Parts: sequence; C-alpha cells; structure tokens
Amino acid sequence: GNACVRGLLGWARPERWLAASSLFPLSCIHTSCTALQQIGKWEKKNRIVYPPQLPGEPRRPAEIYHCRREIKYSKDNMWYLAKLIKGMSIDQALAQLEFSDKKGAKVIKEVLLEAQELAVKKHNVEFKSNLHIAESTTGRGRYTKRIRYHAKGMFGIMKIVRCHYFVKLVEGPPPPPEPPKSGFDQAKEYVQQLRSRTLVNTL
Amino acid sequence: LVVVYPLPRLRALLQRCWQRLESGLLAGFSGGQSPPWGPALAVQAPAFLPQPVHDTNESNEAASLLDSILWMAVPKKRRTIEVNRCRRRNPNKLIKVKTNIDVCPECGNLKQKHVLCGYCYAKVKAETRLIRKEMYKQEGGPFNAPTIETVVLYDGEKPTEKDAGKRIIERARKRPSWFAQN
Repeated sequence: GNACVRGLLGWARPERWLAASSLFPLSCIHTSCTALQQIGKWEKKNRIVYPPQLPGEPRRPAEIYHCRREIKYSKDNMWYLAKLIKGMSIDQALAQLEFSDKKGAKVIKEVLLEAQELAVKKHNVEFKSNLHIAESTTGRGRYTKRIRYHAKGMFGIMKIVRCHYFVKLVEGPPPPPEPPKSGFDQAKEYVQQLRSRTLVNTL
Repeated sequence: LVVVYPLPRLRALLQRCWQRLESGLLAGFSGGQSPPWGPALAVQAPAFLPQPVHDTNESNEAASLLDSILWMAVPKKRRTIEVNRCRRRNPNKLIKVKTNIDVCPECGNLKQKHVLCGYCYAKVKAETRLIRKEMYKQEGGPFNAPTIETVVLYDGEKPTEKDAGKRIIERARKRPSWFAQN
C-alpha cells in the first residue's frame, strides 16, 4: 500500500519541474506554430547523421544545406539567378554573381559565402574551393497585401512579395554537363518505351 | 486589379443611356406621328431636321465609344502555366554566363576585363580623399585653389629642385607602393 502510493506520487515531484530550464522541456517539439519561427525542413537536412562507412566503401561526399528565408525579392526573378548557378563550382558561381546587376545576386552571394564557411567549420570540408552547387532553388515567402492608391479615388490591392532561397553544396568538382539529347536518341527512347509495353488483363 | 467606386461612373452611364433613350423616342415619334410637344405643321414636311444631325452625332459618338471598346485587343483564353513556363524559361530569357571575368594582377580580386578593379579603385579613392582633406586644411575654405601645381610628399621625403614653385601637401604615412614618385 505504502509502496504503491509512494510510486504513484513518485512521478509528481515539483522540484524536478522547476529544475529544468523551461517548464515543459518536451512540449515544443511537435507543435505546428510556436512563438518563434519554426525550423524549416531544409535546415533539418543538415542534422542527419550517417552510420560510419565500412573500410571498402567509396568516400561519401559532404553535403551542406543552407537557406535564407523571407528575402524581399520575387521568386520568379530569383529563379533566374538560381538557374544560372546550378551545377557550377562555388568559385565560378561567386564570380558570376559578383558581376550580375540583379538585386538577388548580392543576397545569393552572401548565402553562398555563409554556406562555404559552415562547410569548412562544421562539416569537415578540407578545401573551401572543392565545393560545387548540386541544388539551388527558390520558394515563395509570406506575401502581405497593401493598398495602392490610383487617381480618381480608385485603389488597387498590391502584394508585397518575398521569397526563400535554398542551396545544397556538395564536396568535389562539379559534374560534367550532360550532352544535349539528339533527335535520334529521343526517337530511340520512344521506340524503346513502345516496345516495353505489356498487355494487361489478357492471356 | 482596379476597383471602381460605382456612383460617379454609373451616374454618367445612366445619363448617357437616358439621352439615347430620349433621342430614340423623338426619332420614333417623328417617324410615326408628329411629336405631341413639337409645333404641328400643315405641310407634311419632316419637323425633325435639326435633330438627326445632333442625334446621329451623339449616337455615332456613343456607338464609336462602345465599338472601340469592343475592338480592343483582349486575351481570348487564359494562358496555361505550361505555355507561361515555355515563354519564361526560353533560353533567350535566361541569364547568360559571363566570360569576361579575370583576376586583377595587383590585388588578386576578380575584375571584369574592360572595367577597373573595384578593390584597387576603392583603395586609391580612400587615399585621394585624405589628400583632398589636407588640401582643404591648407586652403582654408572653398574656391581658394591656388594657380600653381601641387606635389604630395610622404614621410621622410624632401622637395627636390623640380618642385620649386609648387604647393606641397604632406601626408603622415609611408608612400604607398602604387603611388610612384615623379
């Protein structure tokens, strides 16, 4: 009787609650919206830890995920810059962005330099030039609506547009560009597709 | 997206419609019988001479306005996202890769081939600014530039015979390597 009562009350120890830094340390992991910005999926990709590699396996190249949120620029305009640097080495990308006249070029350059620093400091990358850009994409940020005043008492509703920029750096030289597909190759693929069809629901 | 406050525009539209109605009524009346409020003539002459001139003008105006609105170039169908993508991602719209980027031999930063190196230019600009501040201190105020040449001397340099009649600006630092003497 005494033991079970003690066991029941054993979980309720008020001094244990107040000892932790926050009142409920495990409450804020899975809520959908908290007071502070929630951690995005791209940032979480840096947290994956692979098991140690076996002696015979080829070395897995380091991958660094970095992003910047709520940039005051249009996602469509930012996409052109992201498409420019996709697949380039990091030095070439920085050179192209330095002499581009677009507003987003300055932002992307900062993001790339931050990512390079992260790579060297935290992700065990030996040479900061030995990185290439595997993925670079843009996403839509939060839009706010505002009133734009026209003549004769008319008004329009304008959207203040923001975007996110995501980049994935991978260690190693950039992969060679794919040769463009000729018409003959495309035709061959099409014929192959037709030949590999099977008849369904028949003998 | 433009939103219209309906009242003034609607009023103008209604006024125009009413005028057209009135003119239409008058024309109808004069076509069938004589208008009840117009002077009844003995002769079967058309009593509505002045009206068609001003009536057709008005109807022409109104008709041409509406017609011109109808004939304006307007999209017939919504452009699908596939068509939009083909236009936006066409290679002539993509940003071209620049091949005119080199390394500056002086400082090692990147520079475009036909443009001065940004870093070197900023460095020279900063030094020029300090020299100009010294000049301002010597002159005392604006518009006091002397009509003789100027020579800039750094630490440990003495004016030679060539710098006899020139104004001398002293800079309290070592001579930078890119600023050659004479």
